[in-house]
Order: sequence, then C-alpha cells, then structure tokens
Amino acid sequence: MLYIRDLTKRYGNFTAVNHLSLHIPAGDLFGFVGPNGAGKTTTIRIVCGLLRASGGSVQIGGTSAPVGSREMKRQIGYVPDFFGVYDNLKVKEYMEMYGSMYGMYTRDIAKLTDDLLELVNLTDKKEVYVDTLSRGMKQRLCVARALLHNPKLLILDEPSSGLDPRARVEMKELLKNLHAMGKTIVISSHILSELSEMCNSIGIMQQGHLLAAGLMEDVMNRFGGGRNIHIRIASPMEPAIRLMQEQVGVRIESVRENEMIIAYNGGDQQISALMQYMLQNGIVLTDFHREEGTLEGLFMQLTGGGAE
Amino acid sequence: MKFRMNPIVKKDLQVTARSMRLSWGLFAYEGVLTFAFMLALLGIQGESRSFYGGNIYSYLVMLFPVLAISQVCIVSLIVPLLTASSISGEKERQTFDIMMTTCMSPFSIVVGKVTSAVIRILFFVLAGTPIMALAFVVGGLSWLDLLSFMLVISLYSVFLGSIGIFCSSICKKAIAAVILSYVLTAVICGATTIPVILRMLIGRGKPGESLLFMLFNPILFFEEYFMQVMTGESLMADELSRSDVGILTYALSRGTLWIFISAACILLLSFVFMLLASWRVNPLHGSGTRASRKKK
Repeated sequence: MLYIRDLTKRYGNFTAVNHLSLHIPAGDLFGFVGPNGAGKTTTIRIVCGLLRASGGSVQIGGTSAPVGSREMKRQIGYVPDFFGVYDNLKVKEYMEMYGSMYGMYTRDIAKLTDDLLELVNLTDKKEVYVDTLSRGMKQRLCVARALLHNPKLLILDEPSSGLDPRARVEMKELLKNLHAMGKTIVISSHILSELSEMCNSIGIMQQGHLLAAGLMEDVMNRFGGGRNIHIRIASPMEPAIRLMQEQVGVRIESVRENEMIIAYNGGDQQISALMQYMLQNGIVLTDFHREEGTLEGLFMQLTGGGAE
Repeated sequence: MKFRMNPIVKKDLQVTARSMRLSWGLFAYEGVLTFAFMLALLGIQGESRSFYGGNIYSYLVMLFPVLAISQVCIVSLIVPLLTASSISGEKERQTFDIMMTTCMSPFSIVVGKVTSAVIRILFFVLAGTPIMALAFVVGGLSWLDLLSFMLVISLYSVFLGSIGIFCSSICKKAIAAVILSYVLTAVICGATTIPVILRMLIGRGKPGESLLFMLFNPILFFEEYFMQVMTGESLMADELSRSDVGILTYALSRGTLWIFISAACILLLSFVFMLLASWRVNPLHGSGTRASRKKK
C-alpha cells in the first residue's frame, strides 16, 4: 500500500529523516513510534504532501503520481495532531465543506456523512456547531472527515494527544473497527501501550533513522524486545547452569530453586535449538518459556532509553 | 453541467452570515455612507443657495462622486481586513494543513478567498444602493451608471483582495498581513507614478509613453471613470496633447478606451498577485517548507 524509498529531509545541516525506506502492506494498522524529534511527523507530512522531501520517493497503492498531486491526495485521509475548527459551522456543514473540497457532490456527501457520523458515534451532533464539541468529539469528527472521500490510507499523527482517558478508549475502539473493516492505517503515537494493543505492525524511528519495522510479532522476535527466558528444571541445577554459561549470547539473570532466568536475544529457531541442546544433555525441563514482550521494552532497548 | 460553488466561498459566506460582525459591519457601512450623504447634501444646499439661487437639483449630481468616493474609501479599508487575514487566519486557526491535504489546488483556495471577500463587499455595496440611488434619481444619472459603478467597485475589490491574499501568504500573523497590504497598495499607487515623474524631469515636462505605467494605477482609473460618468469626458484626453505623449498613450487616452485597458491591466496585476499567493501557500513550493521547519 505505502512504499517509501530512501526518503530524506534535510534542513541545512540537520537531517530530520535519513534515507528512510518502509513498506506498509494494505490492511495493516501500522504504529509509528519514536522519541520527540525522531522524524515521524516530518515523514507523515511529506507523505501527505505538506512538506517537500530532499530526496527519495513515496508511492501509495501502486500509483506513480507525485506527492502532493490530486491523485495522491485522493488516496490519503489525514488527521493531524492539532487542528482547529471554524466558528459558526455545523457538523454536517463541516463535512459538506471538506467533501466538496474532494470534488464530491452534496447528495453523496450527505449520505456518507450520516454513515460516518454513525461510525464515529456523532450522529446526534449533526446539527451542532463544531466549535462546541469536546476535544475527543472533534478528534472523532476529524477522523470521519478524513474518511469522507474513502481514502486507501488513513494517517493519524498523535491522535490521542490531549484526550481524556475515555476519549482515548473511544478513539482506540474506532481505529480497531476501521482496521477490522480493512482500512490501512498509519498512526503515530507516544502512548506505546495503546499502540501495542491495536497495531499489527510497527516502525521505530530515532534521529531520522528507521531502527526497526515490520509485523509487531516479527519485530519483537527479531530484537527480543528485552524478553527473558524462564526455564524450570526437574533435574539438578548445576549442570544446567554450566551448560548455559557455555552458550554464546546467553546471560544468566537469576537462579532460584528449580528455576533459572536467562537473557537471550536469539530468534525462535535459536531458542528452540537451545531447548533441544538442554534436553540432549540430560536436563529435565518442566517449563521453558519466553516472557511476553512489550512495546515499551522493545522501544527502550532499540532507542537506548530515549525519553518519550 | 452542474454549477459547483467553490467550497471556500460557501464556507466563508455561511460563517460570515452567522457572525455578528456582518451586522455590525453593515451598520457601520450604512452609517458612514449616510453621514457622507448628509454632509454632501448640506454642502450642496449651501452652494446652490449661493450660486444657483436655490436650484438644488442642478447640483445634486455631485452626490454621486461624494458617495462613490466614500464607498471606495470604505472598501479600501475593509477588503485588506477581509483577505489579508484569510490565509494567515487559517494558519493561526490550524485549519490550513487539512485544507492543503484536500484535492483543492492552492490557486482554487486563493481564488475562493478573494471571491468570498468580493461577495461580502458586494453585500455592503448593494446595501448602500438606496442611498446611492438618490444621486441617480435626483441627480440625473442613469441606472447603467449605477451598474457600471458596481462593476468598478467589484474590480477594485478583486485588486485589493489579491494584494491582501498575497500579503496573507507572506505573513504568519494576520495583523502584519493587514498592515502590509495597506502599505503595498499605497506603494503600487505611488510606484506607477515614478516613471512618469522621472520621464517628465528628463523630457522637459513631457511624459511620453511612461504614462502607460499609470494603466496599473487605480487612482487614475477611478479619476477617469468618474470623469466619464459625470461629464462624459476624459481628463487625459483633455490634458494630453499629441506632442507630449507617445502614439500609444495618445490613442489610449481618447474616449473610454483608457478605462477599459486600465481595468484589464488592474485585473492582470490581480491575477499575478493571486498566482504568487498560490505559489506561496503551496507547501511543496512556497512558504510551507519554511513554516514547518520553524515548527520542528
């Protein structure tokens, strides 16, 4: 769906985005994470045609149209982190205005507005002035507005910033629903726990570089995500400890009665081989499992604890 | 083919119609116009008693330039206020980015902003028509003159609006854009006279073809227009002799040709300002890149 190749953005000597290449397949809910100043918003603004890239290319849905062209804009629905609304404009008029800006006819907009307001749970606010809505409602309305022209790609830049907990939950549910409906969504957020709950793929950026990207599970596996392995042993502990000390890349974190916790950054196959090796050497295992990884752990590991 | 209104125009008109500012604006506009009318009437009464033995009707035609110039002055003040804050206002309100991600081209956005300003000005002008009409009914002017005045004031609004929107695309703050658009309008009026002055200094009082620069000068345009409406003559045609100016200037200064060519030149200048504004607001060309850099 979204192909970014060698994307670079320079401001004088400062490089905000450094040769970023990324592919987001259709139907993905992609979480874009990184510390402040990592280059996430810059990348998003380039993709949306709001900023000129210093180099590289962006392709959406197989089209070769240039960034910022009408064809490209038609494929993107953009929800910025902060946005204003107009005084004295009703919700339905707000939708009608943006629909017209995409060249849609009033009759089609009216029908779609009803459906989209229902989707974002704002049906009863149709005749209400936009400036009187709460921040959460405005954010949901902005999502409805971004979906009005049925874009292939929905891009949200920090959609939860400034929202209260209830509005955040509502926004999360809305995005999950859209993902279930098959929309390709790119979301940049600082709330990692939220992203890990709803995204199926992630990209982690720091100082303009893409450190890791891909399916959440793959990335977790590839980088370990700071996950330890818990091993419960029914046989004597000493041979097992000795065996682990001989292994390259294994660090024993703690040893308790019949249980050992080791740190190992190997992938699934290497972990499986490690378990086989223990069994072959007569170690009787009653449990061998890896801790559930967290996005926070992975993020801290990859960014070296870069402050969010 | 179905007519589709520019979404910016529709939105601006909807928002304006619900705002108290429109009501207060109309009130102020009518107030100023009525005051000008009363003042002019008092003057005319005084003049007619002194010189025409109380025959006020032969003097009432003077109401037209007084009211028309009053309207031109008010429009000169209002249009920059409406347009110079339009783009910078969208940026301040943080609605600009979303607008730029839609399929509307920067030029359509700029044209929409100028058009909505011109339409709002026409609200005021139309509301002032009954007062203006007095000058026609009792002053002996035709309805065609009233219609031509509407066209002229619309053209002038487009000119001021294009300058306003250009300034709005340059300045980050609305207030700076408003001030700059007043200054730029004055500079255009002044700058078009400089070649004439220089040429007259060099050419012993003969302006030659340098007067063609004055085609872009709205002040001379209005002067020629009012002369035509009031007297059916042209000041330029009266004052300029074949030996003082070039062939082209001489030909253009005959009859009403100057007014039409000047109107076309002013429209062309407006178009250039709108093109420049649309180039500036395009984030992939103009100021967008720099604005974002500052934001980062």
